Amino acid sequence: MKYPEGVTGKLVSLVPVWVLMLCAGCTSTTVDEFRQGETGIASNETVVILGRRQVSSYETSADFVECVGDRIAQGANGLSVVPEQEFLDAMFPWFEPRTAPLRTQDLARLMTEEQVALTMRGFGIRYIIWLDGFTETIDRSGSISCTVAPGGAGCFGFGSWEDDASFSARIWDVNNYNAVGTISTDATGQSYVPAIVIPIPLIARVEANACQRLGDQLKSFVLGS
Amino acid sequence: MKSPAISICRILLPALLPALLLGACGANSVVISGSFPTPNIGKLPISLAVVYDDNLQEFTYTEYSETGQEEYYIQSGQSHIQLFNAVLPAMFDDVTFVDNVEAAAGAGVDAVFVPNIEEFQLALPAKTRLDVYEVWIKYNMRLLTAEGDYLADWELTSYGKTPTETFLTTESAINDAAVVALRDLASTFALSFSRVPEISAWLANR
Repeated sequence: MKYPEGVTGKLVSLVPVWVLMLCAGCTSTTVDEFRQGETGIASNETVVILGRRQVSSYETSADFVECVGDRIAQGANGLSVVPEQEFLDAMFPWFEPRTAPLRTQDLARLMTEEQVALTMRGFGIRYIIWLDGFTETIDRSGSISCTVAPGGAGCFGFGSWEDDASFSARIWDVNNYNAVGTISTDATGQSYVPAIVIPIPLIARVEANACQRLGDQLKSFVLGS
Repeated sequence: MKSPAISICRILLPALLPALLLGACGANSVVISGSFPTPNIGKLPISLAVVYDDNLQEFTYTEYSETGQEEYYIQSGQSHIQLFNAVLPAMFDDVTFVDNVEAAAGAGVDAVFVPNIEEFQLALPAKTRLDVYEVWIKYNMRLLTAEGDYLADWELTSYGKTPTETFLTTESAINDAAVVALRDLASTFALSFSRVPEISAWLANR
């Protein structure tokens, strides 16, 4: 098929944009699993996913915790997940940043409190999954300048940055007060914003990919499959 | 042909610009508000009178910019009262709210509790270069007998932070960090109350 000369020229000039759009989807994600014990869950049992918030320089985002929870609740074999805030409010003040158990021995001690044990049983919690991590921008380059004038507005330039999402999930079995495993995920991706009059953001979905892969791995881990 | 809209903008912009710049000079007001859960703990067999004095009820904090301009005006007194109103009835068998320590004498209570804020600090990302908003509050808690005599006097600190987000305004971030700090206060207060040495001794002797 032969295109008219003008059309071919326009398509060729758009090649860098197409390449960038394809690359924007490229996020590399690695998942590591370390199993310490047998797992499995009954139909009347639930899991709760909690973000670690003890460190002062960052905190595990509530949106990421919710995303992982939604992911493992999806599908035919989806798990029953207790929402984080509902659990924290019901357990207040035992799972706040300063009071939350850091080790399984602390959980065992905490469960000797009658109210805590009752509330935990009321929710039917079998596993507590502790998420810890954050997403950071590790390399930023380029610049875009925009101008506004009475006759119109426009931007010109090119910007790019690399995001790195690093999260770990520790799984505690509430029945035995044991740590049954750890799953870590690391996702990196490059985002671009070329601007010729209008800026076109081509964003790598780094955190979303980390959430998806971690959620899937957690689900199969808890199910014991 | 010139667009009428452009012409209007050309006339209005020079007039509006000084007003916009002047508007940016005032301090932004933040009234801390949030919801606080009831503690899931066993009640202590104490009847308590609570006094919220004016310092607590009308507590405000002003954050200044590096040039000494008032930047944020934070009103946090009512949120503290809302917090104590949720926490204290879950911690003690009987809680009565009175206007002052003298009024507690005739209320037939075991003790009088008087909370107060001593210090409030705010850390903004623009100043700390960290990606979090932080609130730190120092309290002075006093427990008196019904007659107003000393039982215990102790300090508590609370800390709250919230990460920066693209569409989160500074006012909302300050509020979120303060609410986390208030939850921290409630959890520390609820779990450490009976471990304060003077209170522990008083409870043992009752």
